[in-house]
Amino acid sequence: MEKVKQKDLILYSGLIILGLAAPYLFSAFKVQLTYLCVLIVLAMTWNLQGGEMGYNTFGNILFYGLGMYLTASVQVGMFFPLAEWTESGGEKTFVHTTAQYFQGIGVGLLVSAIIPAIIAGAIGYAILGLRGHYFAICTLGLGIAAGEIAGGIEIIGAGQGFTTPPFPAEIVDTEARGKFFYFLSFALLVGTFIFVKYIYGSRFRLILNAIRDNEDKAEAMGIQTMKYKIVGWMCSAFFCGLAGGIMGGLIGYIDSTDVAFDGREMGVFMVLMAILGGKGTLWGPVIGATLFHFFKEGLWTLILGWQYVALGILIVVIVVYFPEGLMGWLREKYPERFGEVIDEKDRKAQVELK
Amino acid sequence: MNKIAKLFVTFISAITLALVSFTSSFAKVEGEYIVLGSAISLTGKYSSNGVHTQNGYNMAVDRINKMGGVEVQGKKYKFEIIYYDDESNPKRAAQLAERLIKQDGVHYMLGPYSSGLTKAIAPVTEKYKIPMVEANGASRSLFTKGYKYLFAVLSPANQYLEVAIDLAVEKNGGKGVRIAQAFEQDAFSQDVRLGILDAAKRTGSEIIIDDKLPKELNDMAATLAKVKATKPDVLVVSGHTKGALTAIRQISEMKVDVPMLAMTHCDAAKLSKQHGKKSEYALCASQWHKNLSYKDKFFGGGKKYARDFQKEFGYDPPYQSAESSAALLVFKDAFERANSFDRDAVRDALVDTEMQTFYGNIKFGPGGQNVAKPMILFQVRCKGDDCENRVVAPTKWASDKFYHPIPKWSERS
Repeated sequence: MEKVKQKDLILYSGLIILGLAAPYLFSAFKVQLTYLCVLIVLAMTWNLQGGEMGYNTFGNILFYGLGMYLTASVQVGMFFPLAEWTESGGEKTFVHTTAQYFQGIGVGLLVSAIIPAIIAGAIGYAILGLRGHYFAICTLGLGIAAGEIAGGIEIIGAGQGFTTPPFPAEIVDTEARGKFFYFLSFALLVGTFIFVKYIYGSRFRLILNAIRDNEDKAEAMGIQTMKYKIVGWMCSAFFCGLAGGIMGGLIGYIDSTDVAFDGREMGVFMVLMAILGGKGTLWGPVIGATLFHFFKEGLWTLILGWQYVALGILIVVIVVYFPEGLMGWLREKYPERFGEVIDEKDRKAQVELK
Repeated sequence: MNKIAKLFVTFISAITLALVSFTSSFAKVEGEYIVLGSAISLTGKYSSNGVHTQNGYNMAVDRINKMGGVEVQGKKYKFEIIYYDDESNPKRAAQLAERLIKQDGVHYMLGPYSSGLTKAIAPVTEKYKIPMVEANGASRSLFTKGYKYLFAVLSPANQYLEVAIDLAVEKNGGKGVRIAQAFEQDAFSQDVRLGILDAAKRTGSEIIIDDKLPKELNDMAATLAKVKATKPDVLVVSGHTKGALTAIRQISEMKVDVPMLAMTHCDAAKLSKQHGKKSEYALCASQWHKNLSYKDKFFGGGKKYARDFQKEFGYDPPYQSAESSAALLVFKDAFERANSFDRDAVRDALVDTEMQTFYGNIKFGPGGQNVAKPMILFQVRCKGDDCENRVVAPTKWASDKFYHPIPKWSERS
């Protein structure tokens, strides 16, 4: 047991050192690395519902988009009139000082974590009674509706979009912005990972699994499934909101349907990444997101115009050959590495009998 | 385990290979090439206009390179462009701009298609102090942010249809008109809307319908039903190519009678070809038309440009292509005047740009927008089944008289 722990320790400290050194080692790739961190967070949080709880949600994009708008709005609204900032074609240009910028984004991120969590609680209370396809379709509607609504609210820019505050000009170093957002997203990734790992070791996960495997039985055993479902979703919303807030600042321009409530891309990607890696596992979403990001960044520009066809083929390949994801596939091939004991003699005997 | 190890090794080497191919970065000027970067919408909702833009860029690159290229410090250089596909998505565009600058080492950028994407890229180019000449981001808010490295060869979006309202008021004997309008929810169309609001206020006109259209625009029947009921004097529609196509399709299907129909993106949508007679009398705002009398030594005049473009790509150039070609001419001119590859020197040269191209005069205002070129309006007119865009305003270039009001559907053959 201790040996395993030591191995884990080496692995984790290695990864953290790699993560901290990455922006210096691959300086030109900082933005892509930031995306990677955010993608992993989204895949991991989706996995809590889709993988552990068995509720395939397309609604997590709602919290991501909310976080984006909230962070930007707070960051602007704390110091300047928000309506004037976003007013289309407004002649006024406000400039954040360095202190205002960082205070703004700090408070903004806090808000962007808490409010989506509360909203997840409220919506969850209303719709988590639905099961299976009904829940999936219902959440699909959430993201689309949010995008259309946001596109009509003047104070956050409506169809014009919302330009988030530019990084303070007083910081001359052009690398500073990239580093700031990278470390922010890396911190979020570490936080999310620790949290999810904690959940994996807790009774909470077992309850989520029980809900996935047989919700009625779980209820019959005295588990208040609704409560756990809602809490689980709130946890996801918390981290999704933060991820959105960071992305908003990084991209610098928020558009209602293409950037914030981007169900067509981010919303699908998070599901795809979790399934690619293997849902219902701790490392699956991490590996899935990493592979997916490499695939996307590496190949997409080589096949200009055909990348979505390639993505389609990838989805088909995943579903046909790795229905349980990479982790599931590995587990099937090398069960002993996952701590599953197989009686080889017995297995052979069965095969021969056939 | 062996198999897994092999798989792992293959994967790692694939990634390393990919990384290596990324980092073999181009320099800003490599050998005899000046490398420009651009994220273009080759897929997604702006793909048709993205291709018009790319064709415009390519056409100008070929022409400039063939005619001797760019002369800097006595040496001849050629243009080369690195393209990426931004998928019509601002998020992707911003990421690709970063990639062009950081990984490909691009020091000069050409703009993407659409205001939204330009809005997403401008903060990035500004941060790295990369001069960007863009030809397809017209939103007014781009030019009020104090960007120093952004230069647009086109007139801002709010000017697109203001003239149309003035025309309508003029035809109405100087009295205000009743306007119905529907705009896509995107940065560009919403700016066109602001222009109309200003014009309405100025002329004492009344806006009776003010609808928003979704981004994936393929139905505006609800708006048109209202138009049928309220009978406005002018109907204004803007929603890129899809907006123009949808409007004409449904107006003709529903037989909506309105005295004046003003739109954008008619030529990009090839309305007169696609819808023929159904699109007749539509009034369209355009940055450029081939009949204008501007000239330069690379493309000659507008008509010659249109002929050459037709030969190369097989269709009449919409203004999106023309303005994109003009962007390259601006860059060439700036490089030669700066006589250096220093980014700030090039930027300063861009500020002082004052030139005529086949596309129009170009001189940048303090915000980076082109202040030397007016918008034009053309009207689709048909002879038999052969439809064409005819310039009707401003009067200096008008080849035809503005036809008003549009005859009712019942009277049209």
